Amino acid sequence: MPFDSLAYLVLLAIVVVLHWALPVRFRRVFIFAASLAFYASWGLIFVWVPFVVAGVVYLIGKQIAGDPLRARRWLWLGISSLLALLVLFKYRMFLAGNLRALASTLGSTSWLGSIAFPIGISFYTFAAIGYLVDIRQGRVMPPKFVDLVLFFFFWPNILSGPIVRARELMPQLSFSKPFEAWYFFEGLDRLIWGLVQKVVIANVLGTWVDRGFAPGTAGRPSTIDGWFLAIAFGLQIYFDFAGYTNMAIGTARLLGVTLPENFRYPYHAATPPEFWARWHMTLSRWIRDYLFFPINAKWQGAPFPLYVSLIGVMALVGLWHGAGWNFILWGTLHGSYLVLYRIYESWGRKYSGVANWRIAMEGWRVLTLIAVACAWVVFRSNSLVKAGAILSAMFCRVGAGRAFGFGFYWFTLIAVLLCVVEPLLVRKFNEFDERAAENSPSPFRVVVRPLAYLLGLLLFLLFDQSNSQFIYSQF
Amino acid sequence: MLPDSVAIRKAAQEAAAELTRRPIKEGQRLVSSGLIDSLSVLRLIALLERKLQVTIPPETLQPEDFDDLDLIVATVKRVAKPAI
Repeated sequence: MPFDSLAYLVLLAIVVVLHWALPVRFRRVFIFAASLAFYASWGLIFVWVPFVVAGVVYLIGKQIAGDPLRARRWLWLGISSLLALLVLFKYRMFLAGNLRALASTLGSTSWLGSIAFPIGISFYTFAAIGYLVDIRQGRVMPPKFVDLVLFFFFWPNILSGPIVRARELMPQLSFSKPFEAWYFFEGLDRLIWGLVQKVVIANVLGTWVDRGFAPGTAGRPSTIDGWFLAIAFGLQIYFDFAGYTNMAIGTARLLGVTLPENFRYPYHAATPPEFWARWHMTLSRWIRDYLFFPINAKWQGAPFPLYVSLIGVMALVGLWHGAGWNFILWGTLHGSYLVLYRIYESWGRKYSGVANWRIAMEGWRVLTLIAVACAWVVFRSNSLVKAGAILSAMFCRVGAGRAFGFGFYWFTLIAVLLCVVEPLLVRKFNEFDERAAENSPSPFRVVVRPLAYLLGLLLFLLFDQSNSQFIYSQF
Repeated sequence: MLPDSVAIRKAAQEAAAELTRRPIKEGQRLVSSGLIDSLSVLRLIALLERKLQVTIPPETLQPEDFDDLDLIVATVKRVAKPAI
């Protein structure tokens, strides 16, 4: 059951009311039952997978904590088991296809396609690996099995994150906090803004983007269409994923739980590293803490291993998004951007005068946006030929003409504007809210806020497409 | 012998200021605020090792262990060993 459906909103309202009406001792069982039902609504067949993940990390976590001499071996066994599960479900066809291309002796691999894909597996596998490393580093103690099961099944973040750490979510899953009005307001703020981002902006852009990137689209687009398609997809994926995340955070907040933030206006980034500090922040944090930092700690940040690890790690980030060469290339491109910026930065330390020039800093801002847009073309294209056609239209072969109606160009520009003013809007909204908190009852809380919720819901009903899908739920 | 908390705090404040090129206040967030990134944390570790004459094995650490001066002091006291 997708977050952006009327059925979900109605059921959520019922679950939230019952959750707060129940005595504290029943809330955990109730939320577990609701989470199980939510996950099962995507297909009963894979409900066992998060249980298996919880079982594996429970048993191995206990061994890691109880057997310090062999903790390292147990950790690697746990990580290998989890990665094997991920490869079996997500990457088997990709691996088999590439192996078959290399050696035709592999025989038929069609049977591999008969195993489907458990939704959210990339997200809860990463949470599980993080949990095992945290146990090894003494940051968490192994909890009871039921606590771990609830941690993996907690429905607001099981599908597409945010990727949470056990130490930040598990203590909150006792649901012992008393109800506070701000849970309700902040939860609804995030939930309804997320709905608008997804249904009104991302879905509308998606119809044009799907047409522009369709594999069958003949010929090369014009220069203006190439640029608009790249920008429109960059906006679609942002509003889609940020919308999903807002709904996940809002849902959790309605239950009194705080999930970590995942986005901080990524297109306002001035450099490639800053983009990754603002885009899918919980994935960046996971990569930083469990992959990048341990690798580079061994080399003390020496330049050559640093550059190799940046490209390698980002290629893996690409592969995490999906089993396809376009995703790996997308990650590798981002790795290259990070390397180029590091080289510039080390050069800038020698010539700090030039690096601090305003024109240099603004130049990086523009370059970052262009580089990110180019990488999105690769990410979205089903083939490298298609990506090449759009990229060459953007840069090499200037051509005139328009393949879309005016609506596409206007809507994309409006979405760009919204992206630009979004931080200002959020800041103003929070200032009003803080001022309103001082006066009771305030017109902002009694009139403006309910009207904004109503407007958001009306927009949702007006634009709702029952067949839409969150982009990141496919990863 | 390991240095005491006062010496560690002083070294941490100097090292962080050297990296960020600005004075570091008590309680100021370094990593979660984006003031220093994970690579700078490795440089911070190297600076602390040099200033305090200790070794800090980074394999069991995470960047957030260096998020403010209190955390740096606690982390160094927890994992540092005298340099040989």
